[in-house]
Amino acid sequence: MRLDTARADRIAAAILCILGVAMLAGGYTMDRLPQRAIHPASIPGLVPMILGAVLALCAVLLFAGARDDPEPEAGSVSWRNLGLAVGLCLVYALGLVGRLPFFWATALFVAAFAALFAWPETQPAARPRLGLVAALFGLAVAGALSVLFRYGFLVRLP
Amino acid sequence: MERLADFAAAFATLVTPMALVHVTWSTLLGIFVGSLPGLTATMGVALLTTLTYTLDRDVAILVLLCMYVGAIYGGSRSAILLNIPGTPASAATALDGFPLAQAGQAGYAMALATAGSALGTLVGIVLLVLLAPPLGEAALKFGSFEFFWLAVFGVVISGQLTGGGSALKGYIAGVLGLAVAMIGSDGLHAHVRFNFGLSGLNGGIGLIPAMVGAFGFAEVLTVMWRRRPEMAQVRATADRVLPRAGDLWRYKGTIGRSGMIGTLVGIIPGVGEDIGAWASYAVARRFSRERDQFGQGSHEGLIAAETGNSAVVPGALIPALTLAVPGSAPAAVLIAALFIHGIRPGPMLILEQPDFIYSVAAMLTLATLAILIFGLSLARVFVLILKVPRELLMPVVFALCVIGPYALTQRLFDVWVMVGFGMLGFVLRQMNFPMPPLVLGIILGDLLDKNLRRGLTLSDGDLTPFFTRPISAVFVALIVLSIAAGLPPVRRAFARATRGAR
Repeated sequence: MRLDTARADRIAAAILCILGVAMLAGGYTMDRLPQRAIHPASIPGLVPMILGAVLALCAVLLFAGARDDPEPEAGSVSWRNLGLAVGLCLVYALGLVGRLPFFWATALFVAAFAALFAWPETQPAARPRLGLVAALFGLAVAGALSVLFRYGFLVRLP
Repeated sequence: MERLADFAAAFATLVTPMALVHVTWSTLLGIFVGSLPGLTATMGVALLTTLTYTLDRDVAILVLLCMYVGAIYGGSRSAILLNIPGTPASAATALDGFPLAQAGQAGYAMALATAGSALGTLVGIVLLVLLAPPLGEAALKFGSFEFFWLAVFGVVISGQLTGGGSALKGYIAGVLGLAVAMIGSDGLHAHVRFNFGLSGLNGGIGLIPAMVGAFGFAEVLTVMWRRRPEMAQVRATADRVLPRAGDLWRYKGTIGRSGMIGTLVGIIPGVGEDIGAWASYAVARRFSRERDQFGQGSHEGLIAAETGNSAVVPGALIPALTLAVPGSAPAAVLIAALFIHGIRPGPMLILEQPDFIYSVAAMLTLATLAILIFGLSLARVFVLILKVPRELLMPVVFALCVIGPYALTQRLFDVWVMVGFGMLGFVLRQMNFPMPPLVLGIILGDLLDKNLRRGLTLSDGDLTPFFTRPISAVFVALIVLSIAAGLPPVRRAFARATRGAR
C-alpha cells in the first residue's frame, strides 16, 4: 500500500476542503469584538477566512489534478514494523508517561522497543539473552535521561 | 574592513577552553545525528534546543550552530558509504560519492566531502558577514505592508521550490502551517482563536513540540517502517583520507561558485540545504569539462554538492537573523531557540545587538574548523556509527522527543502536540507534501496575520498601499512570477524555449 497515489490525494483533498471551509466559516463567525470598537479591517477572523478559502481552493485543484506517482516505491517497507512502532510510541507517550514515574515508563518502553524489533531476527536460543540485554539497556537509558533532566536541567519529571 | 575587524574581535572573545569543549561535543553529536539515515539536522537542532535551557545564551547558540553544521556535513557519510543520504541535504552527494566508494575510494570521497563542506561553510560565512548588516539595515525600512508580503513570499517560494513535481502540495503545506499559527491568542487584540475549549491551546501551538514531532517522531516512524538498509559492498577504506591540495585548487572555481549558489539558496526563505546541493551540482555539471563523469564518481560533482549544501547554513541564517524569516527548516528551529534565550531576531537586532551577527559568524567558523578536524581525523570511526542498531537508537530518540518538549513548559499537553504533529508529519511526508513550507508557515503565520490587519488599519481598509509601495510592489511581482513559473503551461513553454535556444 502506498500513500502517494491519486486515490490518497483525492481523499486528502476532500479532508483539506472540509478543513478549509470549516476555517472560512470559523473565521466568519468569529467574535468581531464590537465592544472594543476595533477597526473592522482588523477583526481576528480575517486571516483565518482568507486561509480557509485558499486551502479549499488548493484542495479543489489537488482533487482535479490527482495523478498516480510514476516513480517506483522507494525501497520496501514493513507495515508490521510501522504498526508496532506506532503502538509502542503511543502507549509510552500517551499512556505510560504521566501515569508511571518517568524512569519506569521509559525503561519499559525502551526495553520493549529494543526486544520486540530484534525478536524475529534472533535465534530462539538467544532470546532470553536478548530480553536481559534489552531490559538492562532500558534501565540504563531511563536512568541516564532521568538524571540528566532531573539534576542537570532541574526539570520536575512527569 | 571594519566588518572583518568586528568579526575578528568576536572570534577572539568566543575562543575559550570551555567554548572549545562545547564545540567538540556538539559538533561530534551533529555529525553522529547527520550520519544516521533518518535523523536530520532539523531534528537534531530541535532536540538539542530542549537541552540548552540552562546554558548561557552564547553557549546555547554555539552548540546549536555546531549541531546544525555538523549534521549537514555528517549526512555525507551515509550518502557515500550506503548510498542513502543521512539527511536530505546529502542526496546529491550520493550520486558521485557512492560510485567512488564502490571503486575503493571511500576514504578519499569522505576527505573531499569534508573539504567541500568546510570551504562551502566558509564562503557562506564571508557572505553572512558582508550581506547581513546591509540587509538588516534595509529591513528597517519595512513596514506592515512589506512584512505581510515577505511572509507570503516566503511561503510561496518555499512551497514552489520544495514541492518537487507538485508546487501545489508545497503551497498546501505552507497554508496548513499558517493555519496552525492561527490557533491561540492573536497578536493584535489577544483574542483566542480556535482553541476548541482546550486551555492548553490558548497560547498557540509551541514551535518546538511541533518541530520535534514533525521531524523527530515522524522520522522514528519512517526509519522503522523502511526495511533495514543493506551496507553496500564497499571495499576496505584503506585509501587516502586527506584531500590533495591540487584537487582542491583545480576545483577552486566550482568551490567558489557552489559556495555562492548555496548561500543565495539559503537566503531564500524555507528552501534549505537539499536545494542548495542540487542547484550547485546542476550548475557545476553544466560548466564542467568532465561533465560525462558526473554521476559516475566525479570528484568535482561531489565537491559541488557538499560545498553547496554546507554554504546554505550561513545563508539560511542571514534572513533568520535580519528578518526573523528562516532560510531553512533547522534555521526555523534556531529562531525559536533564539527567542527562548532572549534574543529577538529581526530588523531591530542590528540596532539592539549589532555584534551578534559577528558572534554567529565566529561560532560558525569554530564549527567549520571542528568538522574539518574531526572529519579528516575520525573518518574511519564514523563508519562505525552506521552500524548502530536502529532498534536501540530509535527508542532513545523517541524518549528524547517526549521529555524534550515537556522540559520546556513542564506540561503534558506539549507531549500530545508532539505526538499529533509526528503522526501528521509522517502521513504528509509519505504523501509527498514537503515539510519546510509547513514549518515556515507556522513561523510566519503571526507575522502575516498581524501585518495584514495592522496594514489595513493604517490604510483604513484600503488595499492600494499593499501594491503601490515600492518594496511591496517588488514582492508582489516576485510572488506572481513564482506562482506563474509553477504553472504547467508556463513550464512547458519555458522548456520549449530553452530547447529552441540550444
